[in-house]
Amino acid sequence: MPNNIATVLSRQDTWRGHSQRLPRRAITTGHNNLDLLLQGGWPISALTELMPQQPGIGELSLLLPTLKYYADNNQLCVWLDPPYQPYSPRLAAADIALDKLLVVRSKNHAEWLWAAEQSIRSGALLLAWTKQPPPRYADLRKLQLAAADSGNAAFLFSAPSALSAPSPAAMRLELKGMEVNQLLLTVRKQRGVAGGACLQLSLGEANTQRTDLALLPADRHRTYPIQQLNN
Amino acid sequence: MLRPDRKSAQPDIWLYLHFPLLPLETLLPQVPTEQVQKPIAIVNLQKNIQRVLCCNTQAAAWGIEPNLSISTALALCPELEVLPRQVEQEQQLLQQLALLAYSFSPVVILNNSEVWLEISGCQQLFKGYDALLQELENRLRYQSITAVNGIGQNPLTAKLLCGSKFETQLPDQTEIQHRLLNTELSLLETNRKQQQSFKQLGLNTVGDLLALPRSALSCRFDSELMLTIAQLNNEKPFVAPYFQPANTFRDLIQNPQGIFNKESLLFPMKTLLQRLCQYLMARQCHCREIEWHFEPLIGESQQMQIQLSGSQNNWSTLLMLSRLQLERLELPRSIEQIILHADQFIEAPMGVFNLDLFDNQQTAQQSCELIDSLNARLGIDALSQPILNQDYLPEQASTLATPGKHSSTGINGKSKAPQPLWLLTDPAPVHLRNKKLYWRQPLTIISGPERLCGNWWQAEQQRDYYLACDSNGARYWLFRETSSQRWFVHGLFS
Repeated sequence: MPNNIATVLSRQDTWRGHSQRLPRRAITTGHNNLDLLLQGGWPISALTELMPQQPGIGELSLLLPTLKYYADNNQLCVWLDPPYQPYSPRLAAADIALDKLLVVRSKNHAEWLWAAEQSIRSGALLLAWTKQPPPRYADLRKLQLAAADSGNAAFLFSAPSALSAPSPAAMRLELKGMEVNQLLLTVRKQRGVAGGACLQLSLGEANTQRTDLALLPADRHRTYPIQQLNN
Repeated sequence: MLRPDRKSAQPDIWLYLHFPLLPLETLLPQVPTEQVQKPIAIVNLQKNIQRVLCCNTQAAAWGIEPNLSISTALALCPELEVLPRQVEQEQQLLQQLALLAYSFSPVVILNNSEVWLEISGCQQLFKGYDALLQELENRLRYQSITAVNGIGQNPLTAKLLCGSKFETQLPDQTEIQHRLLNTELSLLETNRKQQQSFKQLGLNTVGDLLALPRSALSCRFDSELMLTIAQLNNEKPFVAPYFQPANTFRDLIQNPQGIFNKESLLFPMKTLLQRLCQYLMARQCHCREIEWHFEPLIGESQQMQIQLSGSQNNWSTLLMLSRLQLERLELPRSIEQIILHADQFIEAPMGVFNLDLFDNQQTAQQSCELIDSLNARLGIDALSQPILNQDYLPEQASTLATPGKHSSTGINGKSKAPQPLWLLTDPAPVHLRNKKLYWRQPLTIISGPERLCGNWWQAEQQRDYYLACDSNGARYWLFRETSSQRWFVHGLFS
């Protein structure tokens, strides 16, 4: 429990009347358009839920600048139950210190929840992937409260089916792939703003060229998305 | 051992500590609570007869006193609880007490069951000698140890002046000298023949002995007594090795009644960890690993190792980690003995007192604590860190390893070709349908190939890597094995 008035006032969710409203605390996403849409960037002291329609559309690339920011700050980034193994050369190419990343595998739901809450409360950046069956509302609320206390951003990757269920997360984003390197973000929930805003985000050069199998080899890799991402 | 150079202006102040009830107090924690109030005596074999060494106040009320034979003692008090002396456990307790003394002064001598401290340099730290003595008495009382002390300018004087209670007022120099001269000679440790010659000469007190001319004494007595006299007069130093904390820490708590559940284990564990931290404080270091042994009366003992990613000297953190790990452990039904062992230490890092202004240290500490607690609760297998290796094949270039055990060796030669964020640990075979690639969905090639070769010394692998996408724009990392012409998915561009 917060034990003095300063702690209470420094919290983001303390209402102090409009005139004394604290600026919304957020951390930049690394994409100007997205920062505008999210009113400054990823909310800190809150849980952000990302619901990609399928893996591979660029949902993790969105968070690379945030990962780098935390790793440069000497803070640990915990990946809880990622669906695949992170590929180190790509992370190293994005200048993320690998020793700041920690991959955690949980054996059951109780462990998953404990590890997630512990990570948030210990000042680490949490990227958690939900498993089937999806976590209950009360469990997610625990994580949201932990994030509110800790002052760190926390990200939850849920299946698109989670969209129909309510969530205590401060922000919910639906991610859809449009084209190669083109991502359609739909804000499903955001504090103080009605949901439904959309943004088409370019994560790199849209490459429309397709090559038939019979005509291989195709052009050598013409584009290099990493360099464009870093811009 | 000679003392390092010190200011000679200030005279030494030696404190002698004697623990009259040590054999009893060693065994008291193991006595069941309902028996503590009964008369108890510790016996020891002396010249083939079991004799009383010391006893508690309840037994003393029955008339039991040291040196009574066991049969006399039992005749006096039939209810007397008689316990044999445990010399080994006594020595362990003495080591602990010396460690406690070491936290008061760097000059501690532990000689058999005698402890001396030199406290002349510790006045400022404790804001006066009286405060130091008071604090020492409190600490000893907290450990339920009965102690008496003597104070003198040299160790021998301090021992001769040892009284029957713990003095918390420092006597001044003339007072000490006065007391020394009036001490009975029978207290001096010499052989019987010499004691007899003292009597024949009519020497009763130390003052009488010291008043005689030295040359006359040397004719009459042996060199040992001459050395004692020289030491009493501060002419020759008292030679004894100084106490140093042991290089490894090992301590145990016994519980003959047995401990049957994990909750009641925590209390003795807390006591052991507090002792460990006292030891760490004395050595000014942190531990990197601790090891618990839980030993039942019958059967195999159970071990529990707690590895720390950083280092630690805080007992509450160590207790929290032990508790988390204990939850996963299958313990014997009843535990009789708990042992704590630690032998990996590092020097205490700077800024351990949280004096640093910048919280950079603090976030690193927080990360270490997070790794430790995850490790304690989920097990070391649950944690891993991505590592970059110097290899061409993707599955060998990127591996997972135990946190803190390995470091990335690979040089990040930035590849021209795009690289995925997810790697499939086992490449998934891609089917060919109507001359089209199919994995979960139809895939089309965007660009490629990039040829990667590796492992030529075993089974040579030659792969052509391609970038592919599906209709939703998700990108995949495919490869075709040149030898078999088969397609696989190896990664996802997330």
